[in-house]
Amino acid sequence: CAIFKGTTNLDALLGKDLGALRDIVINANPAKPPLTLLVLHGLLCQRYRVLSTVHVHSSVSGVRPQLLSCLGPKHADSYARHMFQLGFTLIWKDVPKPQMKFSVRNMCPIEGEANVARFLFKLLAPYPSDPALATLVDSWVDTAFYQLADGSAKERAAVLRAVNSALGRGPWLSGPEFSLADVACYCCLLQNGSAASTAANVQRWIKSCENLGHFGPAQLLVK
Amino acid sequence: MALNLTINTSDPPLGVLLAAEHVKNAVQVSVEEGKDNSLHISDSIQFSDANSICRYLARVAPALGLYGANMMEQTEVDHWLEFSARRLCDQPDLTSALGDLDKALSLRTFLVGRALTLADLSVWAALKDRSDWPGQGKPFPHVSRWFFFLNSQAPFSAVGTKYGRQKS
Repeated sequence: CAIFKGTTNLDALLGKDLGALRDIVINANPAKPPLTLLVLHGLLCQRYRVLSTVHVHSSVSGVRPQLLSCLGPKHADSYARHMFQLGFTLIWKDVPKPQMKFSVRNMCPIEGEANVARFLFKLLAPYPSDPALATLVDSWVDTAFYQLADGSAKERAAVLRAVNSALGRGPWLSGPEFSLADVACYCCLLQNGSAASTAANVQRWIKSCENLGHFGPAQLLVK
Repeated sequence: MALNLTINTSDPPLGVLLAAEHVKNAVQVSVEEGKDNSLHISDSIQFSDANSICRYLARVAPALGLYGANMMEQTEVDHWLEFSARRLCDQPDLTSALGDLDKALSLRTFLVGRALTLADLSVWAALKDRSDWPGQGKPFPHVSRWFFFLNSQAPFSAVGTKYGRQKS
């Protein structure tokens, strides 16, 4: 995807490849699918050779068919793990919030969709090098998941006003470049259904997001 | 460049104050007392929540490594920033959060990597606010070791003494 410039060298980002497949394991609750992570998965597949698998943990039952196929069809070469650069293993499980396990000997399990999203996004594109812009991205991501997705109607309305005014200053939420801020806010708006009734700048931005074509996986799941 | 940090004096953000104390040799931060927390960067950018202010301060002083040494450590720092905001603040019962924290600290001196990061600052600050935790029934030996180790170090003891008391 042309919109992301830069990093493709996984060794530089994640340390030297020691031979085993680098597997990103994500536990998520089927009652609240992590739309942002599914969108980022789609983008990772455009950049890397990704071996994607979906499992259902014994703690949940009756998982919708769309959720079982949300990472696309089973790969024909899936027996040959060495042919892939990354593994993406999604486990539908009864967890309070999404959780990622990666490189478990060095890293603690990562909780929260926002934090997993930050990790996946950094595999696609570097954060802005300017400290203020980088922090602005993180700040929008927190706002998306804490206030837009989980907040009261009043909080959501306040965030939408802030989104509208930020979009009056530039095409994307954190300035001239499309970023994780846009991915997170778009997905959270989609999830809570407040994308329909909003102000002019927000409507224009929603159209721009949709024109990029990255959000198909999320749109399929909220229908 | 000098930064202007305003803090809410009725509920001082200890994690932010610690971060400001740690970066003071790399960037000048003046602390003003007020009604809300905010860090003014420019006319269009200002941060008012503790995690954003901490992130910004860590990023303007990259040599200190407060945001971790690589992408995986950054992700762990992000995890602990959310953990301190969501599971240690505003929660009546800390037992499960302290259990998770104790497990994470069992083989570690610092929460992330081999040096002090924002993770230590924000989790320590959240626990400092919760004077009730050492007596919550179950012992958390690793949390206690780590907490009192940090407590005894200069910036932590200074910030704790100066602002911790204003809270109660």
